[in-house]
Amino acid sequence: MKLITPPRISPQAFETALSALSGVVGKDWVMSTDADRDAYADAYAPGSQEQWPAGAAVAPANVEEVQAVVRLANEHKTPLWPVARGKNLGYGTAAPRMAGSIVLDLGRMNKVLELDPKLAYCVVEPGVSFFDLYEHIQREKSPLWMSVPGNAWGSVLGNALDHGMGYTPYGQHAKNLCGIEAVLPSGELVRTGMGAMDGNHSWHLFPLSYGPDWTQMFTQSNLGVVTKAGVWLQPAPETNLLLTWDIPNEEDIGWVIDTVTPLKLAGVIDQNVFIPSWLGKIVLKGQRKDFWDKDSAMPEWRVQELLKEHKLGYWQVQIRLYGDEGVNKAKAEVIKAAFKRKLDAAPQEVWWRTGDPVNQYDPTMGVPSAVALQMGDWVGGRGAHMGFSPVVPATSEHVLGQLKRSRQVIADHDVDFYASFTIGGRFATNINMLMFDRDKPAQIDNMKKLFNALIDTTAKAGYGEYRTHIGWMDAVNDTYNFNNQAQRRLNETLKNAIDPNGILAPGKQGVWPSAYRDSAREGRA
Amino acid sequence: MKRAVVFAVIALAACNRQPAEAPKEAPRQAESPKGGPPPIPPYQMREEQPGGDRLASGRDGKAVFEHQCGACHMAGGMGTNLLTVQRIKAGETPDKGMLTNRTDLTPEYVKQVVRVGKNAMPPQTKVDLTDAELESVAAYLGKAK
Repeated sequence: MKLITPPRISPQAFETALSALSGVVGKDWVMSTDADRDAYADAYAPGSQEQWPAGAAVAPANVEEVQAVVRLANEHKTPLWPVARGKNLGYGTAAPRMAGSIVLDLGRMNKVLELDPKLAYCVVEPGVSFFDLYEHIQREKSPLWMSVPGNAWGSVLGNALDHGMGYTPYGQHAKNLCGIEAVLPSGELVRTGMGAMDGNHSWHLFPLSYGPDWTQMFTQSNLGVVTKAGVWLQPAPETNLLLTWDIPNEEDIGWVIDTVTPLKLAGVIDQNVFIPSWLGKIVLKGQRKDFWDKDSAMPEWRVQELLKEHKLGYWQVQIRLYGDEGVNKAKAEVIKAAFKRKLDAAPQEVWWRTGDPVNQYDPTMGVPSAVALQMGDWVGGRGAHMGFSPVVPATSEHVLGQLKRSRQVIADHDVDFYASFTIGGRFATNINMLMFDRDKPAQIDNMKKLFNALIDTTAKAGYGEYRTHIGWMDAVNDTYNFNNQAQRRLNETLKNAIDPNGILAPGKQGVWPSAYRDSAREGRA
Repeated sequence: MKRAVVFAVIALAACNRQPAEAPKEAPRQAESPKGGPPPIPPYQMREEQPGGDRLASGRDGKAVFEHQCGACHMAGGMGTNLLTVQRIKAGETPDKGMLTNRTDLTPEYVKQVVRVGKNAMPPQTKVDLTDAELESVAAYLGKAK
């Protein structure tokens, strides 16, 4: 990819900035060839990979180098786009929101700094992947479990900072963050929570600060570069029990939600309950063309045929109980009785006990895997996916309403419908997976129109997305419209106050510093 | 050959799937009922990232490969699963889904795919693998000269 510099920066000035960065990190860790820029593009971009071009990338080795890089970015007015490992697949990977930004790749900072088996937490740098942390825990023989997302190739901190979700009792990853160290846009270092006191022993244990707590201010944010953080882990459960029901019909999701939510709120169910629809199972059995060979959306009659043929329910509910065997048994009875009121079929029950082998593909067991990405192969060719992810109250009324609404919009665009719900407590996240072939421009164009229609229709009904691709960060921010977008205006007031040159991740989540406000018009998918 | 394809596809389908009918004594995780899909391979621990200068030549190709590529390319990994199906369709045996079992890869081809990406695989940056590390991995995997 040819060089695109940030606004108002000539190629010569950009080169001067890169030389200065080389002085900090060494020339090998400043990456600015056309091939380097390609490597930092969004490999799964809907459309051309050149829509969100990085100018270069820089990879510091430690916090002092991060501070120096941030100070140079201010001096040379060359904005940075920090990524932990840059594996935010489906949301833009490592590509920057604003063209010409320098990707600040923290992948070299990959140390597990602390692992405490007694109080069940770790302190990690941003380059630590889920695989790295899992293996560190195994090597230490530490009785701790992690929560992993569908794609565990990415960073533990990056995922938590982007509000990623997992499927264990520790599945709301941003809530596991406790005590952050971050480099502010000025280059100054700050520690949140009890870490604000030098040498404080409770830094990664007490979840608040003395005074306003800034920990969450650094999530989905462009206010600082997180260089390390405490992450709470789950004490390894002695046993667990998996209950599985196949749920026959689409509309049954209503009673399923009304059954699961109260049990979750009451603490009978601890985990985030993931409820995928049938397509989640079919994608593992072959490619789309094996089941439906037309470009048009798979019709309902064919879906019903496939469900029969493969003995699948429309939904599958799996609830895993963690901990003491006696407690798990008692909880299972409560849950089974609640389901029995709606469904005659008994669940399948699978026990796991300490020492038993672990299914490496089951994210509810806290084992990292990237096999969820195999879904990309469903459409064939250079398959890719995007997720439309609104949050809805965890009741049948809201879930069925959302299901019906998104189903209609997706049908109007003649696209296959694949929804899942994850019950996180009082809310459920609804992921609508949209799969496409990166080499079919008409399909991509249709997907973009569909995505915009989904955002619009869903917002009008009173629901918003919790996370999105860089190309829609502004469109989604626009939907948070209370009092003339008071939240965005507050964010931008803060942004301008602590980052007057606007050098940290301009446009992240639709929050723009004054210095680059004009660029908000560009790069919208 | 068709049977081999079906077998591999079933092996992939074993992800997160349970037998249709619960036997009287519930099986423990990762065991398979008679006639069911083959068991899923256990989690494969990768080698640790080798110490020393990542920019220096002569890195340990096997260790670098496992550490940097193992998340997808060890037994049961996403890349291995997709390549197993692809290799079977190309008339080869399922074990060729593991890059370490391939004899037809040249070092140049390995380098090209790593830097440019292929199908589901995105390109790898120099932070993922330095040029020196990539040379070692290419030498380790590139058995065809």
